[in-house]
Amino acid sequence: MASFIDFRNPPGSDNRADRLIRATSEPLWMRRLLIGIVLVFFTLFLALPLIVVFQGALAKGLGTFLSAFTDRDILHSVQITLLVAVIAVPANAVFGIAAAWAITRFRFWGRALLLALIDLPLWVSPVIGGLIYVLLCGRRGYLGAWLQAHDIRIIFALPGMVLATTFVTFPFVARSLIPLMEAQGCEEEEAALTLGAGGFEILRRITLPKIRWGFFYGLILCNARAMGEFGAVSVVSAKISGVTNTMPLEIERLYNDYLFASAFAVASALSLLALITLSLKTLAEWKNRRQFEAGQRSLLEPTIETTP
Amino acid sequence: MSIEITSLTKSFGAFPAVNDVSLKIETGEMVAFLGPSGSGKTTLLRLIAGLEFADKGEIFFEAENVTMKSANERKAGFVFQSYALFNHMTIFENIAFGLRVAPRAKRLTKEKIRERVLSLLETIQLSGLENRFPVQLSGGQRQRIAFARALAVEPKVLLLDEPFGALDAKVRRELRTWLGEFHERTRLTSLFVTHDQEEAFEVADRVVIFDKGSVQKIGTPEEIRSGTSNAFVRDFLALDI
Repeated sequence: MASFIDFRNPPGSDNRADRLIRATSEPLWMRRLLIGIVLVFFTLFLALPLIVVFQGALAKGLGTFLSAFTDRDILHSVQITLLVAVIAVPANAVFGIAAAWAITRFRFWGRALLLALIDLPLWVSPVIGGLIYVLLCGRRGYLGAWLQAHDIRIIFALPGMVLATTFVTFPFVARSLIPLMEAQGCEEEEAALTLGAGGFEILRRITLPKIRWGFFYGLILCNARAMGEFGAVSVVSAKISGVTNTMPLEIERLYNDYLFASAFAVASALSLLALITLSLKTLAEWKNRRQFEAGQRSLLEPTIETTP
Repeated sequence: MSIEITSLTKSFGAFPAVNDVSLKIETGEMVAFLGPSGSGKTTLLRLIAGLEFADKGEIFFEAENVTMKSANERKAGFVFQSYALFNHMTIFENIAFGLRVAPRAKRLTKEKIRERVLSLLETIQLSGLENRFPVQLSGGQRQRIAFARALAVEPKVLLLDEPFGALDAKVRRELRTWLGEFHERTRLTSLFVTHDQEEAFEVADRVVIFDKGSVQKIGTPEEIRSGTSNAFVRDFLALDI
């Protein structure tokens, strides 16, 4: 009988971790199959397109690739894209902090409605996001006559593109801050208050440092979407190359004009921006998780009570 | 500093947390708020600190009506059950916080701040930990840091919300003794919330017993233990008389 004794788990010992793993895992063939499916999917839908973009960009040699970035119109589209992002992202940063603060720190009438409204841009098509502003500020829109009388151009001009981009990227900062701030609670802010700190001082010295990685994460997501947005911006832009084209719009124009090498060159530049964003995002996610867990720990600890 | 509360009432929705409470606390007293959870004792403490605002009634610090003043104007030293230390700051910065955010005219110089922080660390017997972060300390150490942080701005009153609630029995007894000695020495008006009657009776000059948002009994530990006709108090204290 001695040969039946399992030396790794001798009788009487209770190797719980081991049993848990066994209890929740699938047979080997199942695991391999699932991993295989994921890998095939990943290659076909994510890795391959990215490779094709860079391959297409470099198909006619490095010279053609680089010459695309000396083209005046293409350079202008890069400028417009960056300009739109530079305005939309800070606007949403301020809004995001304010909204997350209001939602997590106060219980007020209409709070659920505000939460739903913040999410709205994620639920509706970006085209609608653009169309809203055409209906509002376009020539026949509600504000159209007034704007025209004052010679203010919003639609088919930069202000409209900024508005549409801001709408589409509305939720990202607020959405990444709300769960974080909820988990951290507001005791540290209360402590600062009793020590005589004012509201701005508390925001600067306590709240912002506590949420900085979550905030950074939200900013990156917001920025990625702001630079890549096509649908909403295409509705409100006049799509005039060299005037109101952003990078995504310029890619479409180049492609439609059969300038494939240039189209892919701009696309690869945009993809590169996305890849940089992605690596920053991973960093922020990792830091943010640590901050989140620290927040939860500090909330959980006091409930561990030892009664004498 | 003496504190006077007159018919203070605070509700959360339909739930009356503090119901028509009047109380006078003399300068230099150590008073315990004792009662089961949900009896309103913590809410009353937060009302006094200015972290909640009353629906009705008034609060006086000495002769000054502070009912509508915000917490950062009242500057009552508050120690939280969960310490509420600033986790992204060192121990030194935690204790120095209240001194650093003081209005420019009243702010101490860098050297003076350093001096005070280090002397406070000595008072709480944690010298040498100034460069650590809160997560690197034990529960008892963190609670003492929270004390030092509250004391750094020299408050006229100290409010303690279940200060030892999260600690194990041994550390709890040590800190309780330490708090008693500290109060003997400084005679700083102090209020502390607890649900542990042994703690209340040992440390406090007077004990206020709460139930359902109302004061059931006020008195010195001896007076309360010597018997009462209040059914709740008899039951809560398990007095078999």
